[in-house]
Amino acid sequence: MLRQRENTDSFKAGVLSITVHVILLGALLISFNWKTTHPVSIAEVELWDSLPVANVPKQPPPMVIPKPVVKEIPKPKPKPEHVIEPKPELKLPPKSEPEIAIKQEAPKKPIKKDPPKELPKKIQQEDQLAKLQKQLMQDALEKPNKPPVDDVLKKLQQESLSDEKALGEQKSNAAKAGVVDEFKAKIQAKIRNNVNNSLCGDGNPELKFEIALLPTGELGSSPKLTKSSGNVTCDEAVERAIRASEPLPLPEDKTLFSQFRTLKLTFKPNDH
Amino acid sequence: MNASSDMSFFSLIAGASLPVQLVMLILVITSLFSWWYIFIKVATIKRAERDAEDFEDTFWSGGDLNKLYDVITANRRKPQGMASIFEAGFKEYARHKQQTRMDVSDVMEGSRRAMRAAFNREMDELDAHLPFLASVGSVSPYIGLFGTVWGIMNAFRGLSNVAQATLTQVAPGIAEALVATAIGLFAAIPAVIAYNRFASSVDRLSVRYESFMEEFTNILQRKS
Repeated sequence: MLRQRENTDSFKAGVLSITVHVILLGALLISFNWKTTHPVSIAEVELWDSLPVANVPKQPPPMVIPKPVVKEIPKPKPKPEHVIEPKPELKLPPKSEPEIAIKQEAPKKPIKKDPPKELPKKIQQEDQLAKLQKQLMQDALEKPNKPPVDDVLKKLQQESLSDEKALGEQKSNAAKAGVVDEFKAKIQAKIRNNVNNSLCGDGNPELKFEIALLPTGELGSSPKLTKSSGNVTCDEAVERAIRASEPLPLPEDKTLFSQFRTLKLTFKPNDH
Repeated sequence: MNASSDMSFFSLIAGASLPVQLVMLILVITSLFSWWYIFIKVATIKRAERDAEDFEDTFWSGGDLNKLYDVITANRRKPQGMASIFEAGFKEYARHKQQTRMDVSDVMEGSRRAMRAAFNREMDELDAHLPFLASVGSVSPYIGLFGTVWGIMNAFRGLSNVAQATLTQVAPGIAEALVATAIGLFAAIPAVIAYNRFASSVDRLSVRYESFMEEFTNILQRKS
């Protein structure tokens, strides 16, 4: 293995080579912290395993969830009337048929002043107008934010323009509003089921999210927290729940989608 | 499984499976040998360069060639490097000179052949162990990789029996396995560097020897 003339160096070289290895081993042992302890991250991984288990038993209360839905139904009802149909129509009629509007306004005053003197023709109209007024008054009461007089006047104009048509529309509007509310409730229920209540503490935090939806039921953008519960983990839990709920339920009627483009949802994770 | 106490260097090696341990052992032995050869080579090449320097100094100082030959042959040590080439060439030349009937070109041919033979022997000495270093440099990473792959295979096979796979179950196995690659690289890198360095030093020495051979042939031709 070794040449004759290398014999003189062999011993020295052997010692040097062992020295090099010892030095390297020493450097390895000193420079590395071999006794590192990091079981914390491992514990985190295991925590996630238990999450779905904790969530499942809390699912039974879906029966409770409809409660807020029922509460909310009266609220959104007026919305669709203002938002869906009237707005596009309200803009159009005064421009296209201003004369009729004026004509129709005239009979209003006499009606209010002295109903018995009115012509029999207008009695029917008057009844309907009275009904509408009642409805509108209710609406106005429920929605005190908007100036009621304006609404009433606009309503009157519109309703008197096409009484029967308006009635039909109202019915369909009501039906549509019901569908919209139903699906809003479904969306909230679906998200509720995904919220991990245990992250929200013992109190009754309330938080509001604004979410943008795509026609497929997926989120158009990341949900925006408009009102925090004050508990970051709780906010995050709800946000995760929103993301986990994709795709969100949407009505089959695509015309209603405009209602769902942006949704403001209120969550009370601990409210059963 | 507690990851904190498991990770000391020695327990990593001790905890590895038998093939991986074998691979590590082979690599450590290879590394020891390659470093041994590296230090031997450093010493021999340095000595050869110093000898060549000294011999060139004395040769070109203009002394009598016969006297130089006597000094070299009188030395207890067998002549090395340029001195051995000189000795072989001059001995052949002197022998041919004694037989007066020989042609000049034949004398030159004979001494040249003798010098060529001595040169080849010297080159063989200088090239010794370089192939070993080259093999270590190219093969030991693969050996280390083999040990690593084997260890990782084992680590993942152990994972298949568990319902919930966590990093803790694989990490020690992979860490053990990676030690094999580390040792393989540690053996390979110095070997490759040393091989390249030594190869270039040997090349320069051989060029020096060859040019000396040419010059010495010229001197002998002039003398005859």
